[in-house]
Amino acid sequence: MALLTARRPAPGPRPAGRRPAVNARRAAGRSATHVLLLIGGLIWLFPFLWTLGSSFKSADGFFSQGLNPIPKHVMVSNYSGAWKEASFEKYFVNTVLVAGGAVVLTLAATSMAGYVLARTEFPGRKAVIGLISVTLFLPHGYTIIPIFDIVRGLHLLNTLWAVIIVQSSSSLVFATFLFMGYFSTMDREIEDAARVDGASFHQTFWRVMLPLSGPMLATVGLFTCITAWNSFFIPLVFTLSKPELHTLPVGMYSFLGQNSTDWTFLCAGSVISLLPIVVIFLLLQRYFVNGLAGAVKG
Amino acid sequence: MPLVDTAPSPPAHRGGSGPATAAPPPKAPLRTRLWAARWSYLYILPLLALLLTFVVYPIFGSLVYTFYRWNGIGEPSDFVGLDNFRQIAHDSIFWDSVAHTFVYAIVVVPVQLVIALALALVLNNKKLRFSAFYRTLFFLPVVTSPAVVGVVVQLMLSNFGDTFNSWLLDAHIIDTPVDWLGNPRIAMGIIILVGIWQTLGYNLVYFLAGLQTIPEEINEAARIDGAGPVRTFLHITVPMLRSVGLMIVILAFIGSFQVFDLVQVLTNGGPYFGTEVVNTYIYHLAFGGNQAAATQPDVGLASAASFFYGLLLIGFSVLQVLIFRSIAKRRAAGRG
Amino acid sequence: MSPISRRGFLTASAALGGGLTACSSSSAKSTPSGTRTVTHWDWFVSQEPWIKNEIAVFEKANPKIRIKRTVQVSDKYPDLINLAFRGGDAPDFFQIPSTPAFPDQVAQGWLEPLDARATAAWQSRFPQGSFFNGVDMVDGKVYSAPFGGAAPWLQLYIHNGLFKQAGITNPDGSVKLPRTWDDVTLAAEAITKKSGGKAHGIGFGNAQNATLTWWIELFVRGAGSPAGYGTDGPDYRVGKWTFGSDRNYADFLTLLLEWKKKGYIYPSAMSIGDEQARAFFERGKFGITVGGVWNQPTWAEHHFSDYSLTTLPSPTTTPKAFFYYPPGGRVFGVSKAAALTDEAWAWFDHLHSVEAGRRWVEAGQGLSVFPRANDQAKITSPQFQQYVDTRRYALPWPVPAIRNPEVSQVVVPAVKPDLPDVTAGLYTGQLKDMGAALSALEDRRNKALADGVKAAQAKGAKVGLADYVFADWDPTKPYVNKPA
Repeated sequence: MALLTARRPAPGPRPAGRRPAVNARRAAGRSATHVLLLIGGLIWLFPFLWTLGSSFKSADGFFSQGLNPIPKHVMVSNYSGAWKEASFEKYFVNTVLVAGGAVVLTLAATSMAGYVLARTEFPGRKAVIGLISVTLFLPHGYTIIPIFDIVRGLHLLNTLWAVIIVQSSSSLVFATFLFMGYFSTMDREIEDAARVDGASFHQTFWRVMLPLSGPMLATVGLFTCITAWNSFFIPLVFTLSKPELHTLPVGMYSFLGQNSTDWTFLCAGSVISLLPIVVIFLLLQRYFVNGLAGAVKG
Repeated sequence: MPLVDTAPSPPAHRGGSGPATAAPPPKAPLRTRLWAARWSYLYILPLLALLLTFVVYPIFGSLVYTFYRWNGIGEPSDFVGLDNFRQIAHDSIFWDSVAHTFVYAIVVVPVQLVIALALALVLNNKKLRFSAFYRTLFFLPVVTSPAVVGVVVQLMLSNFGDTFNSWLLDAHIIDTPVDWLGNPRIAMGIIILVGIWQTLGYNLVYFLAGLQTIPEEINEAARIDGAGPVRTFLHITVPMLRSVGLMIVILAFIGSFQVFDLVQVLTNGGPYFGTEVVNTYIYHLAFGGNQAAATQPDVGLASAASFFYGLLLIGFSVLQVLIFRSIAKRRAAGRG
Repeated sequence: MSPISRRGFLTASAALGGGLTACSSSSAKSTPSGTRTVTHWDWFVSQEPWIKNEIAVFEKANPKIRIKRTVQVSDKYPDLINLAFRGGDAPDFFQIPSTPAFPDQVAQGWLEPLDARATAAWQSRFPQGSFFNGVDMVDGKVYSAPFGGAAPWLQLYIHNGLFKQAGITNPDGSVKLPRTWDDVTLAAEAITKKSGGKAHGIGFGNAQNATLTWWIELFVRGAGSPAGYGTDGPDYRVGKWTFGSDRNYADFLTLLLEWKKKGYIYPSAMSIGDEQARAFFERGKFGITVGGVWNQPTWAEHHFSDYSLTTLPSPTTTPKAFFYYPPGGRVFGVSKAAALTDEAWAWFDHLHSVEAGRRWVEAGQGLSVFPRANDQAKITSPQFQQYVDTRRYALPWPVPAIRNPEVSQVVVPAVKPDLPDVTAGLYTGQLKDMGAALSALEDRRNKALADGVKAAQAKGAKVGLADYVFADWDPTKPYVNKPA
């Protein structure tokens, strides 16, 4: 890194005669940066590439090819087999519903709370912030039985609602902090202007502030989505009598158990279960650095 | 800057910013102030309802179990007072698992933060082409689920373990083949590597976000003043990143102290508790022994271990905050 | 995961494991067409084809009944069934989980007594002496029934190709099966040396921290330690665990470390899981491994049949102790909420029929409790036949809860570190002093039993440590259990 920054052009005017040398050095530095980043990235991505490659290998190829991610003979049958056997399409729909529901619920609860905590003053505000900070540190012990009892009391057992609500609750605190940070750095004049225009409290939030927090909505949405998509224990417990409500990770778990020696098959299943979330990530990722930047400013 | 906001710095807009606050003077009767803030309360209600019902209440609900010997079936009835805590405090395996967790955190956090910061500085360069592409590349492991990571790493190890061994043997680096997960030190090293791999992305984007908040003009100004890149980094970037850096450090430690899935899927705490971390220790108590010998789960003991560890962590966090604050104060004093 | 679920299933079927039982709030729902549904839970993985076939057979014979099967994640099964009962949402019919203890499950009201239908006449289809308190009965009521037949649950698997390559053959060219500890050592040495580094004599996959104890279980029994790795009970001759005082344990572990030191053992044995080990054995990475009959379906699926099996290698050519099983057994139960309806009972009855047992054996899943179902010409795999033939090495052993039913109130707390941990520690060298480690383990286990007994006494149970001593037991003969 020191090497890379060191290659940055030094400021100030330079004698004209040295310019070509500087340009060449600058170009070399840039190429070196790219080469290093590409090598690092390749190492970083290697497990993905290897899994992807192995998912197309035959069982023998898997053993004989070792580190080489490129299959000698491409076999697509792992995918059709894994797709059919694991009933991924059923789990896929449930997972989308759970992840989507968790995202909506989390965004609603945390953006509203983040807004009032950041932009309004009310008795008890500090106590609320203190409470949610403490939960970040509290041990999450054997809480599944109390949670289960509450969900039973609400008559939500064996519904996707239960999964959505419990799942959302697990990531509220951090999301609230992010929204708080984001709203507290937004220009006050926007709000004032809205008020001058006669906007009510609700209109100000829903029509003005929330739409302006797009990058943070994308960021929190993405984080929530990743967590909900990969969650295993919560969907397992709250859909225990309704296997038709299982999500991908739960289905994946049985799939792993049933095919524990068909490794190319396992690789295909892993790719299938990861692919959607990777795509969602690729679509949303460009927002979220901006979103986070908004939250940490100030 | 959420976590820092909870520190003594004053709240964002005391009095008269939001429409709801309609600026009642601070001395107004409480009822007036409560009524004026009614929409604030309404907006915070969903969060509080979810949090209290599904996070806070269950934590305290499970606190009750710590006083019972209970296998999780039916209702607890065998009251044992503080015996569970006593047993945990006297269990050398518990303390070993605390030590392993700290080793994990103390290696993962600094290494990961240095890599993440270095990468962020490179990728934040506006002139670097494809920086979004690289960012995506390094963030990607974050989206994987631990279960799949566990399977893939095990498959890779069992496939490559032999290959690596023969390379190392050929190069005379070792004279007997290494049993990668069979050696507690190496196993811990592998867990740490995978841990860094999987969570680096988060810290990378936090740092990138932090760097974006540094106005370009400041760097520009420094350059015009003749400051080199190293000095710019030390005197501008580092101070400007201090608050976001603090948040990243705290979050990284919180995450590392709760490491669980990776250990569970890679080594299950073995061999001979050599990689047992606190959360796998608790898990093994709560869900009964190991697969070779199904044992009665002990939810009371597991809950006690969990709370005991929670207390240790809160103590550690307070210490951490105090240290950071005293550093900040000393800096401020030095500057002033 | 799956090897365990298979093992778990087998032990439960031999009534060695613990168990939960079923329940249902949703018993036998009516539908307009008049068919009724029985909800069924199990954690079958490799047994799945068999259970699916049974459901088809049953539904064909009983067109008015539908079985709705849910297969649950095996290592979360005890938690899931517990939560299902807690949520009032348990199945009508279920595979009995390994924890909590069976009497606890009955006490929690999970299981429906079957006595009204499981009459003496019905019971007579099982071998004599199949129903005992603490096994399939509690307080004199029947809650389950035996399913599987007993055979040694572990075998020594031999890779024929590697044995032949190393020249370990009989005069007729067939593979010479190891019978003694020395045979194993010599074979391991020959395979390791003759393969030129490509293969090892011995291999296993201990990533789940289970398979090393399988080696102990198999080898010390042959040497005359009837408690094996001790998870099913102490040495009932003395009512104690004897890991430190019985030198067979140290002898075998010393031998194991010797194998490791000499490089006979596949080097990544602690890194890989049992599943990987199975695949590597198939591919000839090592010549000898220990496993159960659950290995065979995978290999059959991969068309790998070039292997043999044997069991109970011992220091001399005659095993001095065997595998043991308690009489009776339990795998399935009817949940209290199902209230022993005609439908739930019909399904229970079907699964415990000789025909279902026969299909179980034919499918190569294991043995049936019905001797008639085990002797048949339909077994095509020679290795499965070899397994069936090892039956003679499984004998009934003493069951304290039969002599004194109050024993079932004793809950023995878990110890830590337990045998799998200690073994792994010795194998990796994290534990140096074998004698001390084994003695400490013996003390921990015996203290846990004493503590469990004390706790039960405190609650009024009439039990004592003497309940675990059967001085009249000869481990080489079947034991006849009698109520006191």
